[in-house]
Amino acid sequence: MTTFIELLLGGLSIGSVYALIALGFVVIFKATEVVNFAHASLLLAGGYVTAVLHDDIGFWPALGVGIAGAAVVGAGVEFFVMRRYRGSDHSVLAIVTIGVDIILVTELTRRMGTDVMALGDPWGDDVVTIGGVTLAETRIAAFLVAGLLITVFLLAFRFTSWGVSMRAAAENPQTAALMGIKLGRVSLSAWAVAGALAAVAALFLTVFPTPGLERATSLAALKAFPAAILGGLDSTTGALAGGLIVGVTESLATGYQSDLSFLGRGIGDLAPYLVMVIVLLVRPAGLFGTKELARV
Amino acid sequence: MKLRVIPAVCAALTLTLVGCSGKAADNSGDKQDKSGVKTGEGVSASTITLGALTDMTGVYASLGKSVTQAQQLWAKQTNAAGGICDRKVALTVRDHGYDPQKAIAAYTELEPDVLGFTQFIGSPFVAAVEQRIDTQDKGLVLPQAWSANLLGSEYVRVIGATYDVETINMIDYLLAEKRIAEGDKVGHVYFEGDYGENALTGSEYAAEQAGLTIVEQKIKPTDNDMTAQVSALKQAGVKAVVISAGPRQAASLVGVAAATGFDVPVIGNNSAFAPQLLKTQAGPALLKDYYIASSTLPIGDPAAGPAKLAKEYAAQYPKDGLDNGVVAGYSAASVYGEALKKACEAKELTREGVDKALLTLTAYDHGFGITHDFSDPAAPSTRQSAIMKPDAAAPGGLKVVRPAAAAPAAESFTVK
Amino acid sequence: MSDTVETATAAPGTPPEKTPAPAGALERLRRPRTYLWLVGSVLLLAFPFYLDRFWLQAGLFAMAAAIGAIGINLLTGATGQLSMGHAFFLAVGAYSYCVLAGESSTENGHALTGLGLPTWLAAILAVLLAGVAGGVFSPIAGRLRGAYLGIATLALIFIGQHVLFNAGSLTGGFNGRPVPPLSVFGFTFDDTEVLVAAVPFQSSEKLWYVALLALLLSGLFARGVLRGRPGRALNAIRDHRIAAGVMGVPVARYRAGVFVLSSMYAGLAGVLLALVFQRTVPEYFGMILSLEYLAMIVIGGLGSVAGAVVGAAFVSLMPQVLTHYSDSLPLVSAPGTGGLAPGEASRYLYGAAVVAVVLFLPGGLTRLKKPGEKK
Repeated sequence: MTTFIELLLGGLSIGSVYALIALGFVVIFKATEVVNFAHASLLLAGGYVTAVLHDDIGFWPALGVGIAGAAVVGAGVEFFVMRRYRGSDHSVLAIVTIGVDIILVTELTRRMGTDVMALGDPWGDDVVTIGGVTLAETRIAAFLVAGLLITVFLLAFRFTSWGVSMRAAAENPQTAALMGIKLGRVSLSAWAVAGALAAVAALFLTVFPTPGLERATSLAALKAFPAAILGGLDSTTGALAGGLIVGVTESLATGYQSDLSFLGRGIGDLAPYLVMVIVLLVRPAGLFGTKELARV
Repeated sequence: MKLRVIPAVCAALTLTLVGCSGKAADNSGDKQDKSGVKTGEGVSASTITLGALTDMTGVYASLGKSVTQAQQLWAKQTNAAGGICDRKVALTVRDHGYDPQKAIAAYTELEPDVLGFTQFIGSPFVAAVEQRIDTQDKGLVLPQAWSANLLGSEYVRVIGATYDVETINMIDYLLAEKRIAEGDKVGHVYFEGDYGENALTGSEYAAEQAGLTIVEQKIKPTDNDMTAQVSALKQAGVKAVVISAGPRQAASLVGVAAATGFDVPVIGNNSAFAPQLLKTQAGPALLKDYYIASSTLPIGDPAAGPAKLAKEYAAQYPKDGLDNGVVAGYSAASVYGEALKKACEAKELTREGVDKALLTLTAYDHGFGITHDFSDPAAPSTRQSAIMKPDAAAPGGLKVVRPAAAAPAAESFTVK
Repeated sequence: MSDTVETATAAPGTPPEKTPAPAGALERLRRPRTYLWLVGSVLLLAFPFYLDRFWLQAGLFAMAAAIGAIGINLLTGATGQLSMGHAFFLAVGAYSYCVLAGESSTENGHALTGLGLPTWLAAILAVLLAGVAGGVFSPIAGRLRGAYLGIATLALIFIGQHVLFNAGSLTGGFNGRPVPPLSVFGFTFDDTEVLVAAVPFQSSEKLWYVALLALLLSGLFARGVLRGRPGRALNAIRDHRIAAGVMGVPVARYRAGVFVLSSMYAGLAGVLLALVFQRTVPEYFGMILSLEYLAMIVIGGLGSVAGAVVGAAFVSLMPQVLTHYSDSLPLVSAPGTGGLAPGEASRYLYGAAVVAVVLFLPGGLTRLKKPGEKK
């Protein structure tokens, strides 16, 4: 039982980090209907800046610069690439983000070389034990921060003018533009926000229990794809739910792999995708996604 | 009409042009130089060209970089000392970035122009060209991998103990140190693929011999967080953990285990450590109760071989750290050099001659603590492993805690 | 290799109505296109006599990639369905061929299952099986669109890799399994040397003609599909699914059909790649491969056969060229000497090519002349 609770809590906490990454996808998708495959590189950029600076200026300022840096990279991608596309096919734009991702990841991994970079976080490898269940402090922090950020975004979408203009832009760009909403500004801010979120996620992905930031870190961003889709690509709540489901599924499937060995060992990585396919079969727009209704 | 013309024109053109094709078969087989040494592919009057197929931009970048630079250092030193067989040694390096297509292409590209390969990273790629090596090319290839699946070929030769044998030695160390005893459970966290699976064969054999039970946890190279694995192993009540994975997984496993009060010894194969890890959060835990097995002395060892190499490597590449890849690369190159010298003495500096020369090396000690016997292609060149422990003060971060030895179970184990 | 071919094959991009319908033989002789075709074909046919194995292999990889790219261009380019699972169908083709044609054997502790069918039959069945795999996935594919479909197909990659690594008796696990050489009418495309006009023909030389033929046939077939009624229906689905349905296009049937067809192209590419590799390894069929195929069609040009071919040549030949000439290129340096490694240089170039083509040449490399194509 203790193991179950430990796995469940572990899954929830890593799941909340996935939710942060997924939220980044969702914000961009809501504002521009583009799937951002370059998210992994934003994550790497944020983590890299933090890792490089923390020795000189301390952890918190470094994290701040890292978040700002990733936001700038995100905004830069929007401004210099996405905005210049004259067509209207969102699949093509999605493929463009793949190109952007290749360039950015190559550059960042070249800079990182073969290092494993520490981020200098204050939690270290401390753990908290409650009733025989141990949990790393970093994971508790991840859970709280992710919860907070996601709540803030839920509220922001609903109540701020930025959120309203984003929803309007997602609903119908032409009408929104006619109503005086600056589409460029909406999409620029969406990319910047996604970058900032990715930098926060990068922090929690590379601190204890993982060894540190290195070239393979960007692969973790892939886990957020099923998370975002599961919940529904245009739903903030969905990002949270999807992230948690992916985290818990992965953790339980790994922890109980001996009992699942008929599926082949190492099923943990695959389980989120299986859950995703099953959910999509039942609800093609994800758990919380808006069903698309077309007017002809 | 057009349709009929084209093939005719093509055929005519082809036939007339073929006459001047450089590819047309000519019987320029092996040649002899003026001192009577027979030479073949990759050997000219002044140079011996060797290939290195490495990964400097993919998942094994840190290994590939150290191995390649160490081998380039070896080539430089060899040439400074007068070369081999009155010839300079040249190393042609191709970086495949752990991409199968690029790896195969790089092999195909270099194969006609080199005598053999001092390095080939990526055992699936070695397996992919093995048939070609065995039946046509026949150049000596030294892979940087220790899977028993690579044994058996006369031309693809593994230097050192294979993972299965190494894992048996690792479990033997835990038994000898009384960290585990008959009836205990031992966790084994391993990569999917032939590294992990080969190591698992070894741990299962050792467990059978010593009356242990193995609790398996298979992971992927992309898994960096071992929390769930530690929970499961803790639940199973294991007394020690064997890890056959990469450095990151080892660091996470050891770190999580220590932080959650799961105090068991952890021991890893030679690929499960990198000195960079000592600077991470898991550093203190690694220094406490973590061990590594390997078929060479660590680079930080005070013995003459490693000490000299460490000094020279640091002088040549001041910016790059020392790790065991340096030793592995350098010793592979030295073995190759030794085979070349023997081949030269036998006046047969051809692929065939080098292969034959390597088979005559039955007690080769390259100065890194272990004597190798290359006479049987189906057996590993040694069954010994040295056990070491992280040490923050040593260059390369490792010091020896048990000198090279072969466990009785490792001697009795039949490879494959 | 492809300069001449690129320009030559660029022509199919021209809409048919621009061509004067009954072009006489004389008329054709006057057009430069005819000569480009001619020179291109001669060069392609003569290459095995001159190029060494490295370049032939690079060309073979490019031709196999071109077939696969034609397939995904039918799906993503012409019908607008984003697929990231193309590598999965390549794997189905490659491994099916090995299982069907291979003999049962034991290797590295894996007992490999093989049916030992004649290799030509195995190749055909492997292509069909890839189509079946596409058909099995189509209930999911049929329900999803756009980004959802893209990421759902990503699941195929992960499921596929899991199976490839774990179903050891079929796939040989991590180190893959050997590929039996193709054999047609008693002629085997393996490494035994056959002298043709004093040039020794090994597997690369022999397979060259197989690949050329396969590429020609698949290109012509796809062109037929795209130019005919089905092609217009597919484009209509891409441009406006609902309008297409209203106009009487059986949308669901066409979407399922094109998914199956594209999978079969991938299967054929997989079989060819397996024959060139001589061993299938699961590592190859990962997400990167799928992304490469998407990059190919974007770079070459969406929705056309020529675009797929040009893009495939660009993406698969560029790294080889850069590596091979790394000693003589500025900025790029040989690995181990510091500086920009050729592997990295080619990744920069290929990323930049994707971005630049979409921004500045919306039609891809094959439509340099007509940037103002209708949306």
